[in-house]
Amino acid sequence: MREFAYQRAGDVAGAVAAFAAAPGARYLGGGTNLVDLMKSGVESPERLIDVRGLGLDAVEEDADGGLRIGATVTNSDLAAHPGVRRRYPALAQAVLAGASGQLRNAATVGGNLLQRVRCGYFTDVTLPCNRRVPGSGCPAVDGEHHNHAVLGWSEHCVAVHPSDLGVALAAFDAVVSYETGAGPGELAYAALYPPVGDTPHRETSLPPGALITAVSLPAAPVAARSRYRKVRERASYAFATASVAAALEVRDGVVHDVRLAFGAVASRPWRAHAAERALTGAPATARAFGAAADAELAAARPLPHNGYKVPLLRNLMVSVLTELAEEAAR
Amino acid sequence: MTAEPTRGPRRLTRAPRAAQGVGVSVARPDGTLKVTGEFAYASDMWHEDMLWGHTLRSPHAHARVLSIDIAAALAVPGVYAVLTHDDLPTSQTRYGLECLDTPVLADGVVRHHGEPVALVAADHPETARRAAARIAVDYEPLPVVHDEATALADDAPVLHPHRDDHHAPHVRHPNIVHRQPVRRGDPDAAAARADVIVTGTYTVGMQDQAFLGPESGLAVPAEDGGVDLYVATQWLHSDLRQIAPVLGLPEDKVRMTLSGVGGAFGGREDLSMQIHGCLLALRTGKPVKMVYDRFQSFFGHVHRHPATLWYEHGATREGLLTHMRCRIVLDGGAYASSSPAVVGNAASLSAGPYVVDHVDIEALALYTNNPPCGAMRGFGAVQACFAYESQMDKLAAELGLDPVEFRRRNAMSQGSRLPTGQVVDAPAPVAELLRRVKALPLPPERQWETAGAAPDVRALPGGLSNTTHGEGVVRGVGYAVGIKNVGFSEGFDDYSTARVRLEVAGGEPVATVHTAAAEVGQGGVTVQAQIVRTELGVQQVTIQPADTRVGSAGSTSASRQTYMTGGAVRHTCEAIRERVLALGRARFGGTHPAWEHAELLLEDGKVVTEAGEVLAALADVLDGQAIDIEQEFRHRPTQPFDRMTGQGFGHVQYSFAAHRAVVEVDTELGLVKVVELACAQDVGKAVNPQAVAGQIQGGTVQGLGLAVMEEILVGPDAKVRNPSFTDYLIPTILDTPTLPVDILELADHHAPYGLRGAGEAPTLSSTPAVVSAIRAATGRALTRVPVRPEHITDTP
Repeated sequence: MREFAYQRAGDVAGAVAAFAAAPGARYLGGGTNLVDLMKSGVESPERLIDVRGLGLDAVEEDADGGLRIGATVTNSDLAAHPGVRRRYPALAQAVLAGASGQLRNAATVGGNLLQRVRCGYFTDVTLPCNRRVPGSGCPAVDGEHHNHAVLGWSEHCVAVHPSDLGVALAAFDAVVSYETGAGPGELAYAALYPPVGDTPHRETSLPPGALITAVSLPAAPVAARSRYRKVRERASYAFATASVAAALEVRDGVVHDVRLAFGAVASRPWRAHAAERALTGAPATARAFGAAADAELAAARPLPHNGYKVPLLRNLMVSVLTELAEEAAR
Repeated sequence: MTAEPTRGPRRLTRAPRAAQGVGVSVARPDGTLKVTGEFAYASDMWHEDMLWGHTLRSPHAHARVLSIDIAAALAVPGVYAVLTHDDLPTSQTRYGLECLDTPVLADGVVRHHGEPVALVAADHPETARRAAARIAVDYEPLPVVHDEATALADDAPVLHPHRDDHHAPHVRHPNIVHRQPVRRGDPDAAAARADVIVTGTYTVGMQDQAFLGPESGLAVPAEDGGVDLYVATQWLHSDLRQIAPVLGLPEDKVRMTLSGVGGAFGGREDLSMQIHGCLLALRTGKPVKMVYDRFQSFFGHVHRHPATLWYEHGATREGLLTHMRCRIVLDGGAYASSSPAVVGNAASLSAGPYVVDHVDIEALALYTNNPPCGAMRGFGAVQACFAYESQMDKLAAELGLDPVEFRRRNAMSQGSRLPTGQVVDAPAPVAELLRRVKALPLPPERQWETAGAAPDVRALPGGLSNTTHGEGVVRGVGYAVGIKNVGFSEGFDDYSTARVRLEVAGGEPVATVHTAAAEVGQGGVTVQAQIVRTELGVQQVTIQPADTRVGSAGSTSASRQTYMTGGAVRHTCEAIRERVLALGRARFGGTHPAWEHAELLLEDGKVVTEAGEVLAALADVLDGQAIDIEQEFRHRPTQPFDRMTGQGFGHVQYSFAAHRAVVEVDTELGLVKVVELACAQDVGKAVNPQAVAGQIQGGTVQGLGLAVMEEILVGPDAKVRNPSFTDYLIPTILDTPTLPVDILELADHHAPYGLRGAGEAPTLSSTPAVVSAIRAATGRALTRVPVRPEHITDTP
């Protein structure tokens, strides 16, 4: 680990100003990802600006049914919040499906969105990686990619976004609020991660120096009946091999509203628009769910060693929606 | 010949009854400390004024080291020393368990990812790490040898061109560490009599020992120019034999003491920080502590050999094996470590616990640029067991026989002859163990269903991930049985030493035991005290720290320590008892005829007759005198295997375990829930039944890990992809099924108390039983472990 300076910011404006004044600075939330990457040499910031004391640690419930989640709310607090559990159960389930209790006590919402990929080539600084060293190449395409992307990848990077929380945020049309030296801004969560293309090192669309201050969820009655399901290789403490966040509202046996997003299959949490379109107005049957999954996964391009993810994701989506439909019928 | 299973202790010696003695589940002294976090592990050691050592490791799997510039590292404030190969004190710069092929620090070439290149000592661990990062090493990458094809190609880079080990003259390619054939009977003629022949190729991934306490030690320079080393290891004297020559010191100037060990499983049999810490301490004149972090640890010890195993078995329609042929290729990685012995085990145990008279067996280990592989629980027998048990299932299916019935028809028993020609001269209850696990009631079907409430997803594949409520879930049941040798084999002079002192303190007789046996968590110190209580009839027993001031105890591996050091303690206690009785006769001989004529015992601090009549108190017999004896104990000798035929009395004892696995498989998602993994094992004599059950359960779970999740991923570039516990998965308690244990005690009359080494056998059959159960649920061939979701859903 290289030497670095550390400072606690007193307020949002101060944090943003400190960042602008120090090239090579990074904001520090829970540090559960950044500090690990500093130890392995992937990250070597000159300065850490600790943003945990900025008063961004509250979850506010909007009167219209939405939520505003402060950027430094810990994962544990988010998952335990009664408003979250009532209005967006899939969000609480997603958070609890991630990491360990100890990590969730430290990790923050803002940091979760900005966590880096878990690709073994990304974390080994002696190897090429287009995300870490633009233009150096992507050994994962022909190498170990058992748990890499099947959707939306390019030959420049096939890593997946590791967030569980993000999958639920993608399903529920979250909006990211941020602060820059030029003032505040907002960005749809769906636009936070640009397509990989030939610039995998451009990991977010945030303006330079932006500090995420909050994540807002618009009111979504459909989300009250929602699920997050995660497949992993052991029962706990493991990243997903595939996951689904789903919300379903059925009226008279017909899908009235549906939200679907996939995790661990693309460089960003993958909103399944094609499947949602196929399902809206369709009968709430396993057959229709399967057809919708096929519509979404028609775009899947599995690599030589991760083809298993496609049927896994299809089966997972059908099973989650079937269960939600059965619940709705009760 | 069959022996009657007995559950109770079986009297082999006329050992007296003793509270907290042999056969009792005495609580381990370290147990409470470990679960409350108070136990002092090697990584907790502290010395005034100590420095911290750090190892710079190679980022390349194979490269020439063109230059090393340490100037920038030395310039870091707080750095006391930076050492490279050029700083080594003597001309002997290599070490190794059997072949001296491992450089203390890279000497011009690195042969695997993570090989030590330079050392730093500094006043803070972070300073040492930062300074190491400033060492500029200029590497020229070399072509990588990573599998059999690349290692044995005509133009393959030869990894050790100047081999002078005793295997070198007998291998056909210098990248073969050792090769052991075993030939017996006439397999060609036998194959002609077979009604069915099945073949298969099986693959075992690289497993890590995943001990929780990382490599740690503290080296303290001494005024006499020597060094005192406190370290977590498995075999102090083997370490010493390797350390002293490269330090240029006589062995009596390197004094070693065992410090708190957090698990071993074979991973501490090779040296890690021992020499490095001593070099830094001797160079700086200050105590130096080294503690690996998990990343360093993945590179700091050898792993289980990955293997490719080709097998052919034939059988008659009656379900009797006709012949077996196999070829086992083990990847030994860059240095020999214990590969030759692993080859010997894989070859000699490749037929499993079955009678096969006609065999043609070949096992070999390769030198590659992959991480070095060596000892891990099961030691060559694990890989073979996965393959032969897969073959047994295949044969049974081919013959339309129940897999347990088919195994029973071919099971070895006492008197059977192994492919090596060795006759099994102790109970071998293979069929009985299988019968027992099969007879256990099966866990209820659809256990996840609860009356009226939501399903208990913990009983389902995917567990708390809540991936299914039972849809698409299929149950499978599988069986496996294995055979493991106990102790060091192939003619090795295997012994242990125990020093026992008996004296009176505060009016009470007390015993002190001193051995060099490494307590690595297996319960050795508990067992030693139990044996002393039984043999000497004293309650107060003190176990001294293990160190090199006493003779070697041999390694805490090969399931041997209760047999060997337990045997040494008993052997020494017998000598002490004789001395006590001689003293008693001299003092009190005239007072009672029993002194001269009866078999006398020590019980409850007294000399008693077999009938229980008290002759004298120990305190009176000793009368202020102490009896202090150190003795060696050997098991009966073994022989090397013949180099061409593999024939020979190679192993001193065998250990058998059988498993039944019950799994629920989500066939749509490819997820497995092992719901029960039952084990029956013959341990000869359970010296500490609770500790034995713990060993069986631990070994079973380690085998489960290999079956469904544990693998170090190494790419064709020979680099490790997942050196962390985030990416190398080991089972958590949520992945651990119910583990019923059935302990048999069929005495082996060659061994102390009739006991049988117990630590490894359960690791063997666990893996194939789980995979067999998954096959039963899915109908898939599953020839590779660990089994991953894609193997179950049949997608690439």
